[in-house]
Amino acid sequence: MNAKKKFTSTWLLWPALFMLVAFFLIPTLDILRASVYDPEFTTKHFAKLLGSNVYLDVLWRTIRLSVIVALICAVIAYPISYFIVQRPRKQQIFFLFLVFIPLWMSVLIRSYAWMVVLGREGMINALLIGLGFTDEPVKMLFTTGAVYVAMVQILLPIQIVTCYSAMTEIDLDLMRAARILGAKPWQAIRRVFLPLSLDGTVTGAIIVFMLSMGFFITPALVGGRKDIMMANLIEFQVQQLNWGFAAAISIVLLIGTVLCVIIIKRLSKILIRRLVGGGHA
Amino acid sequence: MNKKPFNLSKFLLTGYFLVVILYLVFPIFIVIPISFSNNPFLRFPPSNLGVLWYETYFGDSGWVEATLLSLKVGLIACVVSTVVGTLAVLVLERQVLRSKNLLTYFITSPIIVPHIFISLGMFIFAIRLGIEDNAITLAFAHATIAFPFVFLIVGASHRQLDPTYERAARVLGAGPVRAFFSAAFPSLLPGIVAAAVFSFFVSFDELIIAEFMMSGQQTLPMRIWADLKLEMRPTIAAVSSILIVASIIGMGAAEILRRRSVNISNN
Repeated sequence: MNAKKKFTSTWLLWPALFMLVAFFLIPTLDILRASVYDPEFTTKHFAKLLGSNVYLDVLWRTIRLSVIVALICAVIAYPISYFIVQRPRKQQIFFLFLVFIPLWMSVLIRSYAWMVVLGREGMINALLIGLGFTDEPVKMLFTTGAVYVAMVQILLPIQIVTCYSAMTEIDLDLMRAARILGAKPWQAIRRVFLPLSLDGTVTGAIIVFMLSMGFFITPALVGGRKDIMMANLIEFQVQQLNWGFAAAISIVLLIGTVLCVIIIKRLSKILIRRLVGGGHA
Repeated sequence: MNKKPFNLSKFLLTGYFLVVILYLVFPIFIVIPISFSNNPFLRFPPSNLGVLWYETYFGDSGWVEATLLSLKVGLIACVVSTVVGTLAVLVLERQVLRSKNLLTYFITSPIIVPHIFISLGMFIFAIRLGIEDNAITLAFAHATIAFPFVFLIVGASHRQLDPTYERAARVLGAGPVRAFFSAAFPSLLPGIVAAAVFSFFVSFDELIIAEFMMSGQQTLPMRIWADLKLEMRPTIAAVSSILIVASIIGMGAAEILRRRSVNISNN
């Protein structure tokens, strides 16, 4: 390519770099600094954070919840993506649109819809009482279960889209070939389709996991007091003007997220290798 | 020929698909009906139909000001992130740079860092410079989280461009700038518009950065958030319904544009 003759030159990149440095890189360094200078060098914020069961509990709960949400999304999304990818091209686009629609609504509004559905006087309770299943409204809002139901609904489209785009890369003729060579339908799926599509599933699950780790709105609105996550803790500390402590929590959250992603990647590689390597006929 | 054994599983799969889609899109069918009620409390099913809560929304100066502020911040963030992101695409897709991969990682890295982390950083940074509680600062902060998406969307349409058109324009005597604008830019435009709409909504829906930074004024998500934490008045149902319709129309149109821009060059 004769790049020289094209009119773009590297200075066009400067606004992007400037914005990233000013609003991303320097703020990141500011967090690092705020976590250990107050105003002199101190490790008290990290000591407080790592020395208390309360905060470690929240970290552990956040990780556990994010892993479970990612797993549920992966399991629900896999057959959905498979279903979409098997349709004719025109239908695929329409079905993807249906999946995209919730993604276009803000998380705030989707969490609000769950409050309406699950609340004391909400839709499900009205239905249960109307049908005579119960006299007293069942407590569903402000529970851990509500957080799961809402978070899976909010993050599922992302998993479906990621998984689907990985599946579109797979040559469906391979399945047909396996069938012709005598494989049963489910054998063709397991031996050919599954190994090739699992990478996309893992990528999607990792994205869902990372997004859940920073979730803030949904746990605050539909969860109970025990369901606060790391992000809620950070917001609370900011409101109390404890920026140094908030910064320390953010760093622990970021490092925790990165470590978990590395572990998930490793584990899933081993699992996939077992699935593919084990049982070669 | 061998279609028969698939039928039952196909039937089950279709049913499963419908159930999950219903689970995904149901908020539309909840929030919009309950917004058309004149009851002072949220009740399902809605009774006493009317547009009381829409009147409340448009008549309350707090809600209107919050909406206008969000529109203003969203528009600035949209223009800034679209211009900056598109320029970055033009450099990284057209130039042979040794650090291309590194730069791409750097540009897209805000996507993978937890949102709350970036928000806190921007807040501390703005406090240090004394530029917090300012709509322009908020718009640039939003532009920073939106422009990696612009970079990805416009980058994808740029990869579909056929470079021969531009080369032909050059051979026919156009300068490099004119060749770009007459031969490449029109095919790039749908992707750019899609990215602009997307980045507008990233800003328009953003809560946490605004919640940290703004103390004097409220954006629309801040106002909704404050109301939801206190009491669930049906005004929120009316606001939400307007937002649902606006974002589905906006994002749907953008998605159609984006697909078209990718498909045209495929054929």
